[in-house]
Amino acid sequence: MAGATRPATVRERVADSDRSVGRLLLVAAGALFWGWLVVSWVNRWLGGVLVPVGDPLVPPGAVEATLAAIPGIAAYAADAAFVVELSPEIARGTWLTVVITAASLVVGFFIAVPLAVTRVYGRFSAWVSLAYTELLRGTPLLAQLFVLHYGLNLGSYVPDTLSGVFARNVVWVAIVGFTLNGAAYQAEYIRGAIESVEEGQITAGRAIGLSKLETIYYVVLPQGLRYAIPSWTNEFVYLIKYSSLAAFITVPELYYRADQIASETFRYTLIFIVTGVTYLALVLTASKLMERVESRVSIPGLGVDRER
Amino acid sequence: MSDDGFLRVADVSKWYGDEQVLHDVSFEMDRGDVTVLIGPSGSGKSTMLRCVNRLAEAQEGSILLDGEEVLSPDLDVNDLRREVGMVFQGFNLFAHLTAVGNVALGPRRVLGLSEAAARERAEAQLERVGLGDQFDSYPAELSGGQQQRVGIARALAMEPKLLLFDEPTSALDPELIGEVLEVMHGLVDEGMTMLVVTHEMSFAREVADEIVFLDDGRVVERGPPDQLFERPERERTGRFLERIASHD
Ligand SMILES: Nc1ncnc2c1ncn2[C@@H]1O[C@H](COP(=O)(O)OP(=O)(O)OP(=O)(O)O)[C@@H](O)[C@H]1O
Ligand SMILES: [Mg+2]
Repeated sequence: MAGATRPATVRERVADSDRSVGRLLLVAAGALFWGWLVVSWVNRWLGGVLVPVGDPLVPPGAVEATLAAIPGIAAYAADAAFVVELSPEIARGTWLTVVITAASLVVGFFIAVPLAVTRVYGRFSAWVSLAYTELLRGTPLLAQLFVLHYGLNLGSYVPDTLSGVFARNVVWVAIVGFTLNGAAYQAEYIRGAIESVEEGQITAGRAIGLSKLETIYYVVLPQGLRYAIPSWTNEFVYLIKYSSLAAFITVPELYYRADQIASETFRYTLIFIVTGVTYLALVLTASKLMERVESRVSIPGLGVDRER
Repeated sequence: MSDDGFLRVADVSKWYGDEQVLHDVSFEMDRGDVTVLIGPSGSGKSTMLRCVNRLAEAQEGSILLDGEEVLSPDLDVNDLRREVGMVFQGFNLFAHLTAVGNVALGPRRVLGLSEAAARERAEAQLERVGLGDQFDSYPAELSGGQQQRVGIARALAMEPKLLLFDEPTSALDPELIGEVLEVMHGLVDEGMTMLVVTHEMSFAREVADEIVFLDDGRVVERGPPDQLFERPERERTGRFLERIASHD
């Protein structure tokens, strides 16, 4: 068997340390980003325990003064102060972006799995889920949101118990819209993955006396869902970005807030750079998270190492 | 042989579309018997085996298992399969489960044993096939011979009254065949009723009570191994056996 490990060459050690420095920077940036978000959110929920609601966590004036004292970046001090000043609004919008994405993804998953299963194993139901996925994937998401919001006026049907959760009912409309749409895309990824589960696995399940449904639940899905993780991560990432379409039905999420501030201050470039970086941070978090999940649930011989 | 007619296969015919793959197949087994199905590729051996646990549906004929009609449309196939274990050529182990997980799934989810009882039973069955040291290995971490022994343990864990083997050693490297045959020998000694498709003629000779030679979906000849191997009545049987022998 594999025996003694060869000592690392200098070049390998340098590459390793480069990689670990890069990792460290990424982790630090992630911690800073999520720390800022969570503290901002908690501060707002608790009615401004740290700083008055709506104020940045650090005073912009102090940031400007500090940076101005550092030669080389002094020229950017005013811009930095401006970014700090708008940070509470960005944090506030990001909250809705995160909530809408997460809720739609999770609820959508529980719709997508039966859709995918019926697509593969159903008879009549296969046609129903085919029709559903094609309809939702074949029409523009924005049009779907408009139908739900302006056409059906879904917001007016939100029950009282749910009404209080968000400041506006239209958030629920967005969650419903992204859930229904995302479920169709997720179903496609999951369908592909469960189709790649070998036929013999099902035969073996049936042969020990599991029903078809039990075989799907205990044998096919645990394997198929693992195969689905990489492509499913794409849907996660897309949804983070697509959630900005909620702005068009007046959901005050990240993009909506950014757009609002930009049209008030006319500082479009800076604001959309900050917004872009925020989306990027969310996307990176999502893909890192899913990488973690993937390696956490990985099984020897399943998935990546499956191809000989 | 006592004639208790534990398994009575009578005039079973099966079609895939327009193609008839089984023609009035008949044979009987008593409790504790080992019957070996032999025949060329495509002769319908696997199909016959699968008709017994209803993984394939025979359109005509009768299969009585312990007096019950297997082919009855009212029969609950899952009940049938609790009692009839199957071992596959390609092992078909559940790729996401450890050895114990593979063996415990049936007892846990089909027989309704508790988690602990199912695990205990799985471990006992794995010990029985000589895999006491591989409880938590995944299929991909096991050799072919080990995988097939897990496959056998998985079938045994249901405490079946009949075991079906579909070419259990055909996918194995020659040096791994022995360990699987050894386990099967052990089951024969314990009195397990086994219906086996195999090309391992020495195994068949040694343990079979009856050999059934299938060709083109028909039973060409059947009888005790001595008779079939030494004095085949049909020319086709002789030719097939010669061909197999020349491969060994
Ligand atoms: N699912 C199926 N659909 C259509 N035809 C099938 C199917 N399964 C088997 N057949 C056909 O039925 C016939 C018998 O096949 P079967 O697999 O039972 O043969 P076999 O004796 O087990 O052969 P082998 O030694 O190659 O395993 C073959 O002609 C095969 O092509
Ligand atoms: Mg076969």
